[in-house]
Amino acid sequence: MIRLTDSAWSPYAAGIVIGLLQIPAFMLADTALGASSSFVTAAAWIASIFDPAAAQIDYFAKHMTSDKYYWQSALVIGIALGAYISARLGGVKRPSFAKAWSELTSVKSLGGRMIMGFVGGFILLMGARIAGGCTSGHGVSGMAQLAVGSTVAVIAMFAGGIVTALAFKRA
Amino acid sequence: MTTLMLVILGLAMGVVFGVALEKSRVLEPGVLVRQFQFTNFTMLKMFFAAVATGLVVLAVLNGLGLTALHPKAAVMGSTIVGGLLLGAGIVIAGACPGTALAQIGVGYKDAWATVAGGILGAMVYGYNIDAIEGLLKVGDFGKITFDQLLGMPYWLLALIVAVALTGVMVALEKWRPWRAEMAGLPGGDRLPPQREDTMPTGTAGQKA
Repeated sequence: MIRLTDSAWSPYAAGIVIGLLQIPAFMLADTALGASSSFVTAAAWIASIFDPAAAQIDYFAKHMTSDKYYWQSALVIGIALGAYISARLGGVKRPSFAKAWSELTSVKSLGGRMIMGFVGGFILLMGARIAGGCTSGHGVSGMAQLAVGSTVAVIAMFAGGIVTALAFKRA
Repeated sequence: MTTLMLVILGLAMGVVFGVALEKSRVLEPGVLVRQFQFTNFTMLKMFFAAVATGLVVLAVLNGLGLTALHPKAAVMGSTIVGGLLLGAGIVIAGACPGTALAQIGVGYKDAWATVAGGILGAMVYGYNIDAIEGLLKVGDFGKITFDQLLGMPYWLLALIVAVALTGVMVALEKWRPWRAEMAGLPGGDRLPPQREDTMPTGTAGQKA
């Protein structure tokens, strides 16, 4: 069986574990697995510090008051915690940014990577919110529900990713 | 469930999710970018396994009437434009919204910038939601699903698709064994010894 102290699991075993999370998601939280709504919750709280009118925007208000979004915000914090625990127990050490970046791009410094990450993160969440879900919500959960819209979203996601990756080195 | 219970549940589920993203290396930027270059298939392997498992789980739960499904609406304009941007963002950030948090957990410092950029992206979207929706809310087909289109019970089509995806995974594993694809990644120099139960099919994994 898989163990927490393993340095790695097969991607199939990891996928089965994630798929099984749909049981508590549907049965206890009454929603599907997702991650990108939590960014709206964070954005809404931060915006409302500087702009009291932000809480009047329905989209922000919904993400600040519904239990579903508290659950998802806790979920993404748990993801960070789980990855930390897993890397520690598995004894996997990593540098301050992935080695892959210097292989795939000409970005060599952490500063350069942070700018790229910020821009990428902005586009990522813009896209996820416009599409109404991300790799978890549309991908893992939407396709498991045989949703037509989610399947279109995943195809578009691959199209956008493939075209963008053309600009990167192949290594 | 009370809000506190939901937060504890979310945290616990997130820990499991984060462990799976780290153990499978799907949080690695190189794994995501190389999936879109079709030079590493670790992400698709995990994704297919997660979808196939979800299909079986939901076929049983929904088939027995224990839970309702929550499919998202198919609004073609926003789904396609948003999906294209999402894919571009995954490659530039080297992360999905969920894996960005996992990257923070394993100590990738640039992931903090990814999350900050993501929060700003969500904020700009929220402030401009009416304008963006007005522009892209075209081709709204509602919450349609393939089982409805085909006039089949959900559980039946879900099980058929799960079997088909398992076939795809068996073929993928024969073509690109997962251990070989993980060897060049962090911790790849000491992958766990081969055991019999690392593949859902039980056999193909041992050929790696």
